Amino acid sequence: MRAVVKNRIGTFHPQGFLDGTTAPPMMTIDDVNAAKALNVDMLLVSLKKIVFFNKNGLDVFIRVLEEIHKKSDVVVGLCDYDDKKYTTILKFYEATLNFSLFRTQKIATYFISGTKEANTAKSLLVWHEDASQRSALAIELFDRGHTPIVCQSKKEFTEKKNQTELYEVVIYNTHLGLLGSKIATRVTGNAIIYSVSGFLDAEISDSFDLSYHNNSLNVGFTLFVFDAYKVVSMNIHAVNFFSKLASAGAEYGANLCIVGMTFEKTPLTFKEELEDAGLLFFDNMADILEDKERLKELGGSASATQANKRVLNKVLVNELPRFVNATVNTMEMMTNAKAEKTDAKINTLDIGPTEGKLASSIGFYGNLDGLVILIFPLTIAKKACELLLGETAVNTEDILDTLAEFVNIIAGRVKTLLGEQNISVDITLPRTYEKVQDLLDTVQGRKGVQINLSFEGENFTFFLTR
Amino acid sequence: MLKREDINDYINSIPPSPLTLKNVLKCLREGELSKAAAVAANDPALKLYLQTLVNKPIYGFRNDIKDVGQIFGVLGLAQAEQVIYNYMISLLSPKKWELFALTEKSFSDIQDALSVHWKKILEYKDITDKTIYSSISLLPASIIVCEALFKSKKAEVDLLRSVKAIDYSTVLLRLTKMSLFDLCNEIAKAWEMPEQISRIVLASSGKIDEADENIVELSKCMHLLFFYQLSQPTCIEAGLNDFIEFNIDYVQDIYDEFSQLVMEDS
Repeated sequence: MRAVVKNRIGTFHPQGFLDGTTAPPMMTIDDVNAAKALNVDMLLVSLKKIVFFNKNGLDVFIRVLEEIHKKSDVVVGLCDYDDKKYTTILKFYEATLNFSLFRTQKIATYFISGTKEANTAKSLLVWHEDASQRSALAIELFDRGHTPIVCQSKKEFTEKKNQTELYEVVIYNTHLGLLGSKIATRVTGNAIIYSVSGFLDAEISDSFDLSYHNNSLNVGFTLFVFDAYKVVSMNIHAVNFFSKLASAGAEYGANLCIVGMTFEKTPLTFKEELEDAGLLFFDNMADILEDKERLKELGGSASATQANKRVLNKVLVNELPRFVNATVNTMEMMTNAKAEKTDAKINTLDIGPTEGKLASSIGFYGNLDGLVILIFPLTIAKKACELLLGETAVNTEDILDTLAEFVNIIAGRVKTLLGEQNISVDITLPRTYEKVQDLLDTVQGRKGVQINLSFEGENFTFFLTR
Repeated sequence: MLKREDINDYINSIPPSPLTLKNVLKCLREGELSKAAAVAANDPALKLYLQTLVNKPIYGFRNDIKDVGQIFGVLGLAQAEQVIYNYMISLLSPKKWELFALTEKSFSDIQDALSVHWKKILEYKDITDKTIYSSISLLPASIIVCEALFKSKKAEVDLLRSVKAIDYSTVLLRLTKMSLFDLCNEIAKAWEMPEQISRIVLASSGKIDEADENIVELSKCMHLLFFYQLSQPTCIEAGLNDFIEFNIDYVQDIYDEFSQLVMEDS
């Protein structure tokens, strides 16, 4: 059984009955290796379609998950269970509960670093019987940009939980086990914010999710802010880390800022050195996020002009047929319609009027790097999503969410095709755009290969750039 | 990926039921067990199937039984009819399985296990209707239909399933508006199986509305039994655990009864 990957969460979906006899064939060595190779932040087993389980059955999954956690630092656990199953799991593992439990898969998504901005308009209601778990849940949510409201008593939770309209989600029967040591990340507008704390030393290189950072650079983020209010001090290794990160980001026109760092216990020469490397220092987060002019200047607003200096190269153009084939085949598979190529050109992205269109992009990096952009008329987007969603009339948010899965399929196909040529690439998280203008602003001035395709008379645009 | 025309082609490719089997079933429905056995004995393939079947440990007969009359005798009318339907369904199974890691024997074992457990459930419920006994035979046809339609589409479906937990039947339904169970229904029609069999099997998908409460109750047992079987190691290894979607809410109210009856004996 293979894990399904969405939003950097890999989930196994066993069905039926799970015991010591049935669980092992669900997790073969191939499945375990495939899970290890996934570039995910979290690996879960969904109990949604399990009608019976016992400890022997769960143990098979838990042992594998814990082994993967040790080796690759991903958060592991179980999800999608009801109250009865939750009680049973606690009973099975009361003294040794090192893995995480998320009542639903949606709840798990609040504990990972995504590329979507957290909804700060609505808060998250949090309850756990254990005070330390309550705090841990609140801290993890807060660090990822959410607004948790923590109930301090069962009575308070019972009163509040029925007012579901007030909260984005109610988090209970959820337990945080061993977490990854990755630095918490959140997205605010077009800025990525990393929360760092304590004494920063060489370990920051391990705890910083470089893959996520590269993802973000590749899909067009250019403002990266280190929330350093809780940083006590740093040593030369951390200084080197920040300097290297700034240099690497320069190619993409990225800006790195450190906010709230006091240099009471850190030599001021470090600050000077970092400023020389291109890092910017601010006292308060509001100095960046609430100053629209500055935000635009730093690349943190949708309409910011990018300073990307990367150009399309021959190696990438040589592989173009694979990208186009993967896209066309996937489109044909999803829409059950035939694609016709109408024209191809090397230029900046030109799609005419943006109304009634949606866009998605996905980056790739490794032996080859670049960005694939797809622009769909709403009708084609809906049709492409029908197979995954199973509905015809759905809201734009659902369509965008499904388009993200859709570009993931295309990127997965490209990755496989390139792999056959011994070209190894990793793919980024997909990004979707309800306003196509936001995407056009991101790739403004970048040259690429644009291929216009027609699906049953509707135009669909493929654009490959760097 | 799959179009409605592919489905029509598949339906048109379902062969008519062989005359011998029609005659055996006619005799069994009329209660003529020995006459049925005499007709069956004239078909060497059916005879061999019956001899192999009843001597499997799952049927629990102590002595080796060779004579078709004896075989029908020990099975009784209801189970004999069910076995004939199992044989009919097995005629549709491919020589070489590609999508699922199955063999002729392992598919037959799945049929037998379902039949034996189904009999136990019906006996517990005091149901003697032969048609209801036979309804379980049509269920494994969903595996055969899935194999036939998707064997050349595995890579595409795997790609879909890498981003979304989606089963074959749902993929089929979304592409062609027909589920694997609807296609089982087409087989039942082509082979003139009683309508009640189709209704129970269709309802056992857990996804359609069925007005008859008795059929709903039986279909819940069938749904849970199918997933009990699909959770067995051989089925998991064959890739059958998630080929259709388990509707846990549909069977929740009968789970305790089922577990006492089927799981504790296993």
